[in-house]
Amino acid sequence: MMIKEIITVILLVVGCFFFLAGTLGVLRFPDLFSRLHALTKADNLGLGFIAAGMAVYIASPWAALKIFFIWLFTLLASSTSCYLIARFQKEQNHSKNGKEGG
Amino acid sequence: MSVLIDIILAILAVYLALQSLLAPRLTQSVFLFFAFGLALALAWIRLGAVDVAITEAAIAAGFLGVLFLDALRDFSPRGSEKKENLEAVQNALPKNNTKSLLLPGMALMLGLGLFLLIALEAVWKIPDGGGLTAAAEALLPESGVEHPVTAVLLNFRAYDTWLEIGVILLGLLAVFAVGGIKIYRKPVMATQDPLLRQVILFFTPVLFLFGAFLLYIGKTGPGGAFQAAVLWGAIGILLHLGGRPVFSMIPRWLGQLLLTIGLGFFLILGFLFIAGGATLFEYPPAHAGVLILIVETMAAISIAAALTAIFANLNQMNEGPNEIESTN
Amino acid sequence: MDGFFVIVIVFLLLNIALGLFRVWRGPKVADRLLTTQLFGTTGMAILLVLAGYLKELTLLNVAITFNVLAILLVIGLVQVWKNKKEETP
Repeated sequence: MMIKEIITVILLVVGCFFFLAGTLGVLRFPDLFSRLHALTKADNLGLGFIAAGMAVYIASPWAALKIFFIWLFTLLASSTSCYLIARFQKEQNHSKNGKEGG
Repeated sequence: MSVLIDIILAILAVYLALQSLLAPRLTQSVFLFFAFGLALALAWIRLGAVDVAITEAAIAAGFLGVLFLDALRDFSPRGSEKKENLEAVQNALPKNNTKSLLLPGMALMLGLGLFLLIALEAVWKIPDGGGLTAAAEALLPESGVEHPVTAVLLNFRAYDTWLEIGVILLGLLAVFAVGGIKIYRKPVMATQDPLLRQVILFFTPVLFLFGAFLLYIGKTGPGGAFQAAVLWGAIGILLHLGGRPVFSMIPRWLGQLLLTIGLGFFLILGFLFIAGGATLFEYPPAHAGVLILIVETMAAISIAAALTAIFANLNQMNEGPNEIESTN
Repeated sequence: MDGFFVIVIVFLLLNIALGLFRVWRGPKVADRLLTTQLFGTTGMAILLVLAGYLKELTLLNVAITFNVLAILLVIGLVQVWKNKKEETP
């Protein structure tokens, strides 16, 4: 019982650290692409740690499976969103430059 | 200890609600509104209403977000004739000075103050037993389901739910009335982006399965027709965004059938009950569970179709006449 | 243990509040869209912790709902605004 709780606490604290890192990155980084980099990597890692911690704490196989799927879908959705947002911004920059040049 | 969470959530929700109305730029408003939806969903959970939280999450995160983004596109400066039209309309309107706003403003303040007083009084008078909860739970065995919220929505107050499906359909009719029925004319033009195509291909079955799951567990826990409908509606919106507008790909009669089957099935069932000697929407207790599941499925299909059609039609309108003409 | 969960939830909520600065500042619409990802991920983490704290496993369904719909917003913006010029900040 105690060991389970200690593992949960450690995993949650590590997860919170990554969330803080991600948020600070979004706030402090100078441009969109570095912000994207900070957010989609750090936050997903943080979510992974918190998901692992809660799976250990809840300790039911059905819930653990669900939590695993939550994390998996987030990874998929988040990395695709990162790519889509970056491509969107790149196209916007491109069309703006083209307009100014032409 | 958990009161700390409630305080932060309350402050966050009120702040976001105010700011999403008062933010100087429309883009700020839209994204603050998204955050507001999240805060509200968490607040509903703290209040113990997981059903509402799922609906709030689905509506705010999915449907309203996309609708707002679509509307936002039209309001941003595009340097087009549309903006000039807007300015012309604004110039044609009589200029309001502060004096003429004073009276309506005061009337509004008075009305809101009265409303607040009534709301406070109503909250004050909430009975300790939770109102009708006990009555609903006493009749639960007869309802055919095990979750009190579903029992109330689909059995005890089925009339309300039936009308709600009608309200969503009316919303679609309003969109048609404003924009015309161009929805069936959009050509199929799948997106060229490989990653986007893959992610739509992946999330379509996931959304479908999870919607069906929510629909089914509505019998025993939080979930149900409306939550499932938003998820299924998201499939239609995703396909539309990926260049495969659902309503252009299926025959027109099928689209009309999908849109009306929820309302129609509910109504036919009600008349059958009356013919059988019961009152409208009085399920026979022996088959109530199965009937409710069928009704919920039909309702979810209809609502999902209506949400898809609303988005598709609004998106169509915003894309302007040029695109439609050139692709016809 | 419950106290620890409350601290984690409050910390994550403050994370969301901090992220609101980016919604205010922008400067581009893509920056603001980025924050919806932040809110979505952080919200899901809060829901997971709440599920353990309240011992209510149905909250996982709320998390999945958020999860599968968060991407809709991104695809929506990217596809709807595809041919539109960026607003000037």
